[in-house]
Amino acid sequence: MGVSGDNVAAKAVPTYCYNCVSGPDLLKVRVEDGVAVTIGPDHSATGVHPAHGRPCIKAYGLVQKTYNPHRVLTPMKRTNPKKGRNEDPGFMPISWDEALDIVAARLNDIRARGLLDEQGLPRVAATFGHGGTPAHYMGTLPAFLGAWGPIDYSFGSGQGVKCTHSEHLYGEFWHRAFTVCADTIATRFIISFGSNVEVTGGVCAVRRHADARLRGIKRVQVEPHMSPTAACSAEWVPIKPKTDAAFMLAMIHVLLHEAAREKLDGAFLRARTASPYLVGPDGWYLRDRESGKPLMWDQRKQAPVVFDALDAAPALEGEYVVTSAIGHGPDGERPEYVNVKGRTAFSETVEAMKDFTPEWAAEICDVPASVIRRVALEYLENACVGETVEINGRILPLRPVAVTLGKTVNNGWGAFECCWSRTMLATLVGALEVPGGTLGTAIRINKPHDNRLLSVIPGEDGFMANRFNPTDKENWVSRPTGRNAHRTLIPIVGNSAWSQALGPTHLAWLFLRETPPDWPKPTKPEVWFAFRTNPAISFWETASLSETMASMPFIVSFAYTQDETNHMADILLPDATDLESTQLTRLGGTKFVEQHWHHQGVALRQPAVEPLGEARDFTWISAELARRTGLIDSYTASLNRGATGFPLSGAHYDYRLQPDQVHDVDMVWDAVCKAATAELTEGRDVKDLAWFKENGWFVTPFKRVDWYLTPTMEDKGLRYELPYQERLLRTGKELARRLHEKNIRWWDVQLSEYTALPEWHDPPSHWIRSVEALGGKPEDYPFWAITTKSMPYTTGNNIGIPLMNESASNLRDHGAVTINVAAAERLGIGDGDLVEVRSPVGATVGRAALAQGCRPDTVVIPGQYAHWKTPVAKDFGFPSLNAIAPLSMVSLALTDATGSGADVVRVAVRKLETAGDAQ
Amino acid sequence: MTRYVMIADLRRCVGCQTCTASCKEANGTPPGVQWRRVLDIEAGTYPAVSRVFVPTGCQHCDDPPCMEVCPSTATDKRKDGLVTIDYEICIGCAACIVACPYEARYKVDAPDFAFGAEPTAAEARLFDSSRIGVATKCTFCIDRIDAGLAKGLVPGRDPEATPVCVQGCISGALRFGDRDDPESEASRLLAENKWFRMHEAEQTGPGFYYLWDKEDVPL
Repeated sequence: MGVSGDNVAAKAVPTYCYNCVSGPDLLKVRVEDGVAVTIGPDHSATGVHPAHGRPCIKAYGLVQKTYNPHRVLTPMKRTNPKKGRNEDPGFMPISWDEALDIVAARLNDIRARGLLDEQGLPRVAATFGHGGTPAHYMGTLPAFLGAWGPIDYSFGSGQGVKCTHSEHLYGEFWHRAFTVCADTIATRFIISFGSNVEVTGGVCAVRRHADARLRGIKRVQVEPHMSPTAACSAEWVPIKPKTDAAFMLAMIHVLLHEAAREKLDGAFLRARTASPYLVGPDGWYLRDRESGKPLMWDQRKQAPVVFDALDAAPALEGEYVVTSAIGHGPDGERPEYVNVKGRTAFSETVEAMKDFTPEWAAEICDVPASVIRRVALEYLENACVGETVEINGRILPLRPVAVTLGKTVNNGWGAFECCWSRTMLATLVGALEVPGGTLGTAIRINKPHDNRLLSVIPGEDGFMANRFNPTDKENWVSRPTGRNAHRTLIPIVGNSAWSQALGPTHLAWLFLRETPPDWPKPTKPEVWFAFRTNPAISFWETASLSETMASMPFIVSFAYTQDETNHMADILLPDATDLESTQLTRLGGTKFVEQHWHHQGVALRQPAVEPLGEARDFTWISAELARRTGLIDSYTASLNRGATGFPLSGAHYDYRLQPDQVHDVDMVWDAVCKAATAELTEGRDVKDLAWFKENGWFVTPFKRVDWYLTPTMEDKGLRYELPYQERLLRTGKELARRLHEKNIRWWDVQLSEYTALPEWHDPPSHWIRSVEALGGKPEDYPFWAITTKSMPYTTGNNIGIPLMNESASNLRDHGAVTINVAAAERLGIGDGDLVEVRSPVGATVGRAALAQGCRPDTVVIPGQYAHWKTPVAKDFGFPSLNAIAPLSMVSLALTDATGSGADVVRVAVRKLETAGDAQ
Repeated sequence: MTRYVMIADLRRCVGCQTCTASCKEANGTPPGVQWRRVLDIEAGTYPAVSRVFVPTGCQHCDDPPCMEVCPSTATDKRKDGLVTIDYEICIGCAACIVACPYEARYKVDAPDFAFGAEPTAAEARLFDSSRIGVATKCTFCIDRIDAGLAKGLVPGRDPEATPVCVQGCISGALRFGDRDDPESEASRLLAENKWFRMHEAEQTGPGFYYLWDKEDVPL
């Protein structure tokens, strides 16, 4: 062993890693004599890539990932018809022909009988893993899925409860922000509520924040335990779990009730928000009788004017008498008003925030009022209202303050209040979507996905157009079109290609087991495809979810190794993995989680090495599925339309593929490479696949001014739909009527969240009540259990890679249960002791990691472990929050109006002598 | 003179362990051997707590205690500051492992690989049997430095001639270069920032500097 010397045929192959949502990370693979040996940065991207072509730790695991001896390297079929954790699947190697014939036979049978079943639900379902990242590895599968027709994407692997779900929905609604970040290169002060940007923000964010720290930025990290992000912050504020909304509401209170009004950005509030709109006694905007437009009070005319009246001087605050107006109520109701008092939306907000004092929040958050008040005032002082900066020749406000939210803060009960408060903190000082402020990154509910500025089109009432799922009587989708009923229950999630998978995905799993009153039990999908996903580990109450999964009649899993989910599969198909296959993807511009580039372009993933065994490129697999199901025409048409993310024809180019032919992998991606570069350069600089194999990536300039949405809002004369939520109020009332007309009352608590302005609903109490609902006594479960991540494992689909485990073990909490030192002492628990963390649902066992940087009432269980099948990982013996989080009717009560839950569980903790002592 | 040194800016390091992994992969170290690693250190009492990430490894000392105790002269020091181990000479007595105040040295007595006894194709290419039964440690990627110098490259400036942990560091915390070259980034960083070295009291003269704040008055 050991090869060196001059006879080695070595090359450095450029490619990308997209194992988390912050990709693609550029890299080069050193290949010697056809063997991938090491990963390194792509230094040719220095000065272009914000992190100078350096990939994160996960990329360094790709060599071990390639040569993992536990890989599934041939198609397999199940020989044991019984499914379950304790059943040996009896997987038997078969040929690709046999495997694809078996799958195609199922699919063709479905096509013959109809794509929808007797309930109107798709007979085929598909689940892909974290945050859309599998899309960067699945080649042309989207073209096959598009050619197929209706597919149920509602069986999630954690979507909706483990993402920044509410931010996705409200963020996109308010400022085209599927995810939100600070304008780190220009900001001076960030208050971060649990946003673990140094771990999950990707290499671009890490580099930007490191540069910002040296520049002198101050970041205050508010979270129950001290994450690496808190470690790298100027201040850590240990807040009680799920009380972040109270902290933020109190900050708003300070800005509105304690600070001088001129400290706020009045010009921004008047011109770019609905703050001057007059609100009538029923909560509806007062509107002009003729046009239906919302009214403002013109201080010059001392009269009401429509919101888009020229030369108006709208009053920001006050109550005014309007002689005649109408309202727009639910279901087309048009209440009429005469000599009615209307108060500005801003004044309504001021009133609504009156009671949320820092002293009020202090008790809820277990954070001193003085800290909350100081942070609020620091935020205000740093906002620099009135300052401007020139970006690309345009004068823009400079508002160097930002608020960011993390997972768990950003989903489940309290998330609406948090998202609203965060956005309002930016709005009050004019720091929304301007240099230095709080920015959106990308869009997934609106279109086009690759340019959020183009998604800004005028809608009603001076706001951006937003397409909610209908709630009116005629158009409400009373009969679910997917098993999670997203169109029926969640108006704001819309119905884009991403909407169903956004949630509430836990309801799809739940409803297969049990259903609430007056809700038909959904049918099971007849074929379920799974790729880069392991919901048997990554969702909740994993033991019972696995049982549900075992009841699925036919599962096709694209398999890397055997794991807890494909243990239930009928067919395993080995796809050529990261370093073995071909795909082009976009990079640059503004992407989530925090990437703001001065360039945009595309990067190629290419086979640095030949696929091992019988693993096949996903594009080949997809074409075969299409061919064997008689869909090659529509599959190719889908490719031509842009199923890979790049339309193959446009104003300046045409690289469309012949629709009636099967095209090989390189032919497809050659066309995509040409089309993508032609699109980027308007046909001036076309690069083919061969060029990309040599050079890896291609970019064109991306203007910094396009990082910000506000210039586009100004150009189009639009207002952010803040602070007042008339649309949400009306939507909620309509949804309530529709559900009640169907005698559905089990969604009523969610309906209470549809308010025009946030109210305090005591989010933590939901989880305490859940203990009682599960038959426990709250006093028996005195701790909050939450979770966190580490960079080696963040969404990496890499649990079986030993290099990640060894590297992560340098972090104190890897594979452990983090407990506050004093709290542990009271329980007789020492560092490294075996502990049981128990909820009413079950128990999980791990080693205690004692820390001062953790609240005494909180324990933290990082990662998503407790594997029992995945090679390497099954020997870890690590605990998992997922094993003890409920997925039952109780989790329905823990679901908010957006269909979101959160990784929070009330638990008891005790020391064990041996793992066998666990209950 | 040339004195190569490693610099870790503690304000930048986020503890991601990318350096740990890149080092392990590039140098083909077996499980449990980490020539480069990042410590996760906490100080204070709740709620007044600080947590800091500290990259560490062989400090390539001016006066290496490991060299002093080495009975076989396997451990040596080059003129450019790099502390070396000659695996042919090392007798594996482990005295250096005990003597090193930085816990930077390792010794494994049998081949071991990521997935067990059998190496992967990549590990097989990197496996070096001369490292079995002898002391090993961070070399500052000496082969990269020497090969780079032979090509006229500048270690610390040109990625090809720079230690893999440095060229891979995503936050820019790790830097490398010639402390004695006033034009090097390393010497500039040391001049412009406050720094310390680990276990300074041991008088080992570490070649590993930790930046922690701006210098009040630039030197």
